[in-house]
Amino acid sequence: MTPRKLLTIVVLIAVLGFGYYSMNAAPVLSDHDYTYQGGLEWHEDPDEALAIAEQEDKPVLVYYWTTWCTYCQDYEDQHYQDDEIRDTLDEYVLLAINLDDPGPGASMAAEHEAAYPPQHVIMTNDEQEITRLGGYTEQDQFLQRLESAAENQ
Amino acid sequence: MIPDALTFGTLLIVVAAFASGLSAALLLYGYLTRSDEFQRLTLVASGVSTAALVAAHSYLTYLFVVGDYTYAYVWENSAEYLSLLYRVTGVYANHEGSILFWATLTAVVATWTVYSSHFEGRGSRLVQSISLAIVATFAAMLTTQSPFTPIDVAYPDTPAGFVPPDGDGLNPLLIDPWMAIHPPITFAAYALLIVPFALGIVHFVSRFRGEASVFDEWLPSMLQWLRISWLLLTASIVFGGIWAYGVLGWGGFWSWDPVETAVLIPWLGLTAALHAANRYETSGEYSIFAPAAAALIFPLVIFATTVVRSGVFRSVHSFAAGGIGTGILFLLAVTGTLAIVLPFAYWFLEAGDPDRPADEPWLSRRTVYHGAVLSFAVLAFISIWGLSFPVLRNAATGVEVSVGQDHYNLWSYPVVVFMLLAGGLYALLDMRRRRLAIGATAAVAVVTIAAAFVTPSANWFLSDPSAHDPAVYRIVGNASVLSIVPPAVFFAVTWTVRYVDRVRGVPSRAFKLRETGIVLIHVGGAVLIVAVSFVYLFSTSASVAVVGVADATDNPEPIVEEVPDSEYTVEVTNYDSVEEPTIQDAARSPAEMLAVSEEVSLVRGEITEIDTIENTDVARLDDSDVWLASSDASTSFEEGTEVIARGNVFDGESLATDADAYVYTDADNKGTVSDPPEDVHEPRMVSHEVDITVYEGDEKVAEGSIAEQEYLRSEMNTNDALIERGITGDTYVVGQVSEGGASITIDTYPLANQIWTGVGLMLVGITALIVGDSRFRKR
Repeated sequence: MTPRKLLTIVVLIAVLGFGYYSMNAAPVLSDHDYTYQGGLEWHEDPDEALAIAEQEDKPVLVYYWTTWCTYCQDYEDQHYQDDEIRDTLDEYVLLAINLDDPGPGASMAAEHEAAYPPQHVIMTNDEQEITRLGGYTEQDQFLQRLESAAENQ
Repeated sequence: MIPDALTFGTLLIVVAAFASGLSAALLLYGYLTRSDEFQRLTLVASGVSTAALVAAHSYLTYLFVVGDYTYAYVWENSAEYLSLLYRVTGVYANHEGSILFWATLTAVVATWTVYSSHFEGRGSRLVQSISLAIVATFAAMLTTQSPFTPIDVAYPDTPAGFVPPDGDGLNPLLIDPWMAIHPPITFAAYALLIVPFALGIVHFVSRFRGEASVFDEWLPSMLQWLRISWLLLTASIVFGGIWAYGVLGWGGFWSWDPVETAVLIPWLGLTAALHAANRYETSGEYSIFAPAAAALIFPLVIFATTVVRSGVFRSVHSFAAGGIGTGILFLLAVTGTLAIVLPFAYWFLEAGDPDRPADEPWLSRRTVYHGAVLSFAVLAFISIWGLSFPVLRNAATGVEVSVGQDHYNLWSYPVVVFMLLAGGLYALLDMRRRRLAIGATAAVAVVTIAAAFVTPSANWFLSDPSAHDPAVYRIVGNASVLSIVPPAVFFAVTWTVRYVDRVRGVPSRAFKLRETGIVLIHVGGAVLIVAVSFVYLFSTSASVAVVGVADATDNPEPIVEEVPDSEYTVEVTNYDSVEEPTIQDAARSPAEMLAVSEEVSLVRGEITEIDTIENTDVARLDDSDVWLASSDASTSFEEGTEVIARGNVFDGESLATDADAYVYTDADNKGTVSDPPEDVHEPRMVSHEVDITVYEGDEKVAEGSIAEQEYLRSEMNTNDALIERGITGDTYVVGQVSEGGASITIDTYPLANQIWTGVGLMLVGITALIVGDSRFRKR
């Protein structure tokens, strides 16, 4: 085997490895079950989310978002990447509804009168609204509201 | 095809499709039967095909220049208010026109090889046949989706024979001088690649048939074709970058938009192919890879076109939204399969081991050179994969993923660093300084790794990865951009040293010119890489809102605002709003009005005669057969005044006179040329222009004007930035401007000019290489 052939083979293997790795490393936006805002798994179907919330006895955090909303990008890049917030979010069942394409979440968006992104609604698993964060909320404020709502559900 | 749709232009395209198909078939027949019997017919057919396409393209350009809106394509991409330059730009603003242009240039190139005496012999006929078959495919695509489709065929709702008085307009983003030249040079570069493609394919066909290949014979001229194509493609990418920097106020040269990524792929392929072909010419290495690479660039170009035109890839370039012709997919499938399968099959089935010296050391020039060639391929793959896998994965599993700038930047960065090191090593090895070469490269590699840990401030990090990002992004992203400097300097220095070493004592001026070209390309590349690496990381941005901009018009005192969180102060000294077209330009002369059919017209002219018919005041314009009419008591016509008026158009017969048309107007719709009825006119575009001066501390850093253009019909805005260039970088001022206020952003782009320096060196270098090489060969 010549050095050049060896080099070619090494590069080919590296390229295949790169292809596989990079494909899996790309942040997933959505799949059949979840949407992945901020790298977190969010349900897209309210019925599913509520059933799980009841089972696990957790409140539900509903997040209304769109792809074009820049504040959603801030939530994604900052708030949801914060470890403390991520820990607090474990107390919740997450439900994200894309206002451009709400799918099964359409009736809930209408009920919550969520006309613009971003909005967060925290509710019990029997759909009682606990609190609501309209528009953008600073990171520490966001955390505080999440924590207090989780305690007082 | 319905006869209505078969217009003169479409007919020309049908002729071209038939003639180029015939020519391709005759050439193939000649190749298979080793006969020359149809040579004259072939010459005629290919000549007719090219002439027809040139005529079709010229005719389309003519239609745009005169504004003939009988054709849907012209109506969709042009309008009266555009200047001549942008009417011509409209020709290739969309799918049909740009394919026609590309087909025309391709036909010129293909036919030239048929007519030129350089390209004779059996293999050449197959080369020419393939080239003309591609022309035929283009022309066939255009017959089904013709730029000469009449408006009532494209829009069945329009009444037969109706010609719109004005065009729908041109995409505002394309109204820029750089966009006027960017498509022609891109397509010229693409067209030149057709012959290397055909040559590469024929090379393998000949090898399989056990015949002599024409590839070797054509190699010197093919190298020049590739170089000219490289020159044009490089320039085209740069012009696109200049456009992105200026138009819209994007403030960036490059953002890994799918189209930008797509056009980079053929460029990388072309660069790799040039390296391989050069090497093949001098040493006979790459006997499979060189023709394979030459063949592969054209499918890469088609791939890039698919990305630009298909709409599958989300992109700001989707000027041509809608379906892509099946022709493009067909071309991609056929050319791609040929260019990949033939070389691989040959490699597996036929290739023997090439001779090589038994005592060749492991780390030889050949190995290092090969590493560099492979690196270009890897870079191309990173881009192809970044574009493709989100689409493939979504199609296969329904999973949507996002591929951002980090994918391209962070994966490419280590490869580029490796290339610079390998390139430097190669230059030293080429001077037969083996121990020095290995020692120096190892030392620079160590310095590079050390530099990756030196980050004086947060700006120096290559990226801003979060803790949840994959490991590779965190590792590469947390490296310092300083790590690009040692390998780039090493690369530039070693190539300069190699150059001096090579030209010393050589009297041939052609040789020196050629070598100068080579060294300029490589040094320019190193400058470009460093500048690109720094320019985004160190850019800064600050913005301020200025209210009451309209007051600046007649106000001698400028409005002064301090820009928060920065040292900048902005002074607004003047505001102006410009309408395009102005009411004076938009108003038609009586003759123009008679030429178009409008229910409501805006006309201008001098009143040359007045009269009263049935209580209606009438006024003749410019001694023509067009009269204004008004029964509004407050309107008065005065002989000798030049007026602009708008109103319903009635046939002259309605008043039983011999006038051709009456325009019924009233006081609100009529005025003089100097005081026109502004309210009745809706311009295409309103440009809000603000003169500003920017100070940083006490120092004036930028002075000039910024503007925002509102395109009222397309609800799209563009911005003119004020760019103050300096040696260390650009101060870039842009804003959203309206008469109410302006939100002004001041950015800095350090080293922006070094990007132009790097590119300039590369373009001068390739030109010197092309000229020097042709002189060198003649000797």
